[in-house]
Amino acid sequence: MYDATHLFEPPVMTEEEKLERFKERIENGEKIEADDWMPDFYRDTLIKLISMHGISEIMGALPEKEWVPKAPSLRRKLGIMAKVQDEMGHGQLLLRVVEDLMKPYGKTRADLMDDLFTGRLKFHNVFHMPTRSWADAGTIGWLVDGAAIITQTNMLGASYGPYARALQRICAEEVFHAQHGESIIMALAEGTPEQKAMIQESLDEWWESLLMFFGPATKETTGTSKQDVTIAYKIRTKTNEELRQNFFTKYVPRIRSLGLVIPDPTLRFDEETGQWIYAQPDWTEFKKIIQGGGPRSKERLALRQTSYQNNAWVREALAETIG
Amino acid sequence: MTETFYQEFEIFSKRTPNAAFTHQFSLLAPNKEMALLMAQENFMRREPVVDIWVVKREDIRGMTPDEKQMLQRLDNKDYRTTKGYGYLKKKWRHYEQQMLDEKEIMSWQGGDSK
Repeated sequence: MYDATHLFEPPVMTEEEKLERFKERIENGEKIEADDWMPDFYRDTLIKLISMHGISEIMGALPEKEWVPKAPSLRRKLGIMAKVQDEMGHGQLLLRVVEDLMKPYGKTRADLMDDLFTGRLKFHNVFHMPTRSWADAGTIGWLVDGAAIITQTNMLGASYGPYARALQRICAEEVFHAQHGESIIMALAEGTPEQKAMIQESLDEWWESLLMFFGPATKETTGTSKQDVTIAYKIRTKTNEELRQNFFTKYVPRIRSLGLVIPDPTLRFDEETGQWIYAQPDWTEFKKIIQGGGPRSKERLALRQTSYQNNAWVREALAETIG
Repeated sequence: MTETFYQEFEIFSKRTPNAAFTHQFSLLAPNKEMALLMAQENFMRREPVVDIWVVKREDIRGMTPDEKQMLQRLDNKDYRTTKGYGYLKKKWRHYEQQMLDEKEIMSWQGGDSK
């Protein structure tokens, strides 16, 4: 057999040619893999997006785990415990995706933890909030996870293959989370007047946080936004505002059907524009919350930090076994 | 120390005894035993599973992006597939016989004959 390897000698490409080829691949709907060439801005955008998503899954398990011992029955305890475990699992999947992206920068999971503890790495606004009642646990499952499903399914076709595959696994489990939340809410909605009052009170408390969850419509509101680059490079398809509008369309009728009142008297669907009109949440407050100034930011971070430090001996002991 | 603590493992599993191993995802673990435990915790909380492989990523010879480009096939392999022999269907009809196509042949499992 003759040696044909010289025929496949890869042509030496300039940075501009590489970028052109990369854009072509994205346009063709090809998946970018961890060891493929990618421009730094694409890598950096993914690192920022996915590390925030991954850490939010982990920080999001904290307010829910507070309700494991307080859940009203054994079945409810098992259900919420399974959900907490899933959220931790999602965090593991996503951090793995980030680690492969950070590799060329020589960074590891320990650096991500440092970034979290020093405030450089942010997590979702909703996980800075207290869970005050069992109804709040239900609201998180039903509406916070509902909002998360809307943003996550929007990225199922992401151009970055490892993220798209992680999201496939995550979204399949989120369906269980949403139904778990619905089940808690349904029991309360069909319960005593006190139980009904509990979910109304919970909705009143969480409504603004739910709107904030999708992020501001434009970067003018908070100074930065990666919406444009994530859409241009097919990481996501819809804008923050489109996602928030989808949330209204899917959830407003369901919330109202249970006899709950949404705490925004201006909320209505405008037939002419086909858009929901609503009162903007306080975006200054949003900025303060995600910068670590939310009602539970400090406690949750301290909890994460304590567990990281308390378990340091496990990492040290097991490091010995590596040969 | 922490740099050596985590090693990358790729996880494969089988859903049923008859299924092929499928790649699930990767994870970090200090050794194979922990990787096996983590694999169950991370990826097999609900789905049925009958077997799991954990493989150190560094032991896998993958392909570079350039090598992957060489995998693209030319569309001229009809002689290798049933597609190149589809004309037989018409021929057999002429002899008043049915063609033994893939669907027919794969349905013979268990020794049943039609």
